[in-house]
Amino acid sequence: MSVVQNVVGATGSTADTSPFRGNMVSQALRRVDDNVLIREAQRGNRAAFEELVRQYDHAVLRLALRLTASEQDAQDIYQEAFLKAYRNLVSFRFECSFYTWIYRIVTNLCLDHLRKKNVRKEDAPVTTMQDGTELSLLDQVADDRAHSNPERDLMRRELGHKIGIALNRLTARERMVFELKHYQGLKLRTIGEMLNTTEETAKNTLFRATQKLRGALAEMRE
Amino acid sequence: MNCELFKQNVILLVYEELADDMLFEMRQHAGRCAACHQELESAQQFRSDVSAIPMVEPAPNLLAASRLRLQEALETAEQHHGWRAWVFDPVDWLRQLRFSPALAAVILIVGFAGGVLTAFRVSHPATIDPGTIDSPAEASIAGIRGITQDPSTNTIQISYDKLQQASTRGSIDNPDIEKLLLYAAHAQQNPGVRVESVSILSRKCHDTQIRETMMRALLDDRNPGVRLQALDGLEEYVKEDIQVRNAVIQALLNDSNPGVRTEAIRLLQPVKADSMVRSAFERLARQDNNEYIRSESERTLNSLPPID
Repeated sequence: MSVVQNVVGATGSTADTSPFRGNMVSQALRRVDDNVLIREAQRGNRAAFEELVRQYDHAVLRLALRLTASEQDAQDIYQEAFLKAYRNLVSFRFECSFYTWIYRIVTNLCLDHLRKKNVRKEDAPVTTMQDGTELSLLDQVADDRAHSNPERDLMRRELGHKIGIALNRLTARERMVFELKHYQGLKLRTIGEMLNTTEETAKNTLFRATQKLRGALAEMRE
Repeated sequence: MNCELFKQNVILLVYEELADDMLFEMRQHAGRCAACHQELESAQQFRSDVSAIPMVEPAPNLLAASRLRLQEALETAEQHHGWRAWVFDPVDWLRQLRFSPALAAVILIVGFAGGVLTAFRVSHPATIDPGTIDSPAEASIAGIRGITQDPSTNTIQISYDKLQQASTRGSIDNPDIEKLLLYAAHAQQNPGVRVESVSILSRKCHDTQIRETMMRALLDDRNPGVRLQALDGLEEYVKEDIQVRNAVIQALLNDSNPGVRTEAIRLLQPVKADSMVRSAFERLARQDNNEYIRSESERTLNSLPPID
């Protein structure tokens, strides 16, 4: 049995026998599993690296999709992030979790993307699908309640439109901190680690971002 | 608590980033101050409004296509080795310099020393015999830059600073290589170098000096990766060497990293009937803070025959 199979097997059996174990234990186990996989991957075992990819790639793709609003760009960032991780895995020193490390790579790539991209600030955020069709974020703000009424639905869509515009007006770093906090639900300490900065700086950036967003939304309400 | 401080922290309250004492003060203040109460409601409304744009989940097809594309790219991708990161990545170096004045100072000093040495060498030329190595006395080693090994030829290349950077090659049985590896295993700041050296030395644990170095790395090294490598090397001596067994028990009882402790549990399975090992498991099963370690210890004890 390969190391990868061993690790996966061990994780599976633990989950079966311990319904009472909390998040902390599962996190510790994941860290243990990751460490074994990383060490194998550092020795050149590609299967171990692909197992690591499978554990985190959904979150990576989701973050990239959210920030780039383009399936093609998100796929490019996904590809570049994991290739970079693979090439530099030898330099991974177990000083942080693999999750933090890969997110650091992805956020850096996304920051570069956001800075380089010539965004038309007043446009509503639009997701470009692979077949070339464009899907406005407004379309995703659907009111799925059974008793929804068209007027309220329209207002929610309008609000979503305004929020999208306000988000596009933030600086790349403010946008990143806000996205990681609000949509990914990460702690500011973790965000600081990912962006190679302190928790205090992340706090200040979040403060600035929310001030701007609140101001922009208030302006739009008037 | 005053209104200004409240306004500065209200967003942290809404995003659940405040410590309990601060949270309590903020709530107390909002209860007394109408303006701050309104500010709190406005911030909560903001969070709720922004949540109107839900997270876009990537389509399964997109994820599958991305995985496929990545797999293809990995076919031709090669991993960078440690020394290349030092030699060929000046951008990364500059990035580190930017954030580390101490490192910048060290590099400046090393650069200055290198300049002086070069001037000295020019005026006092010396012959260099490639393929041989000056005996690397510990006192003359300024630092180890990297260790690489070629599995196909079983040779190890170590780049280290004496008065100037030098490189040496040889098998693991070369006494000079061994001396450098032992030095790297305990004296280096760079955990990557320690991981490499402990990893290579772990193949020679039949040598008692190396085994002692492994035990020291297991018990003293700050980096869990190094400690895990040391455990790897010590694995086959847990049965026959009581000192190794004791070191692994120490790691199981005291290590701060759950991964290292889990690995220690695995290593001790073949000797779980030993009275020292048994009492360590009993102690962990009774009072360890880590639930997983507690349950694994209990499981190990349950698998043992009862003491008559």
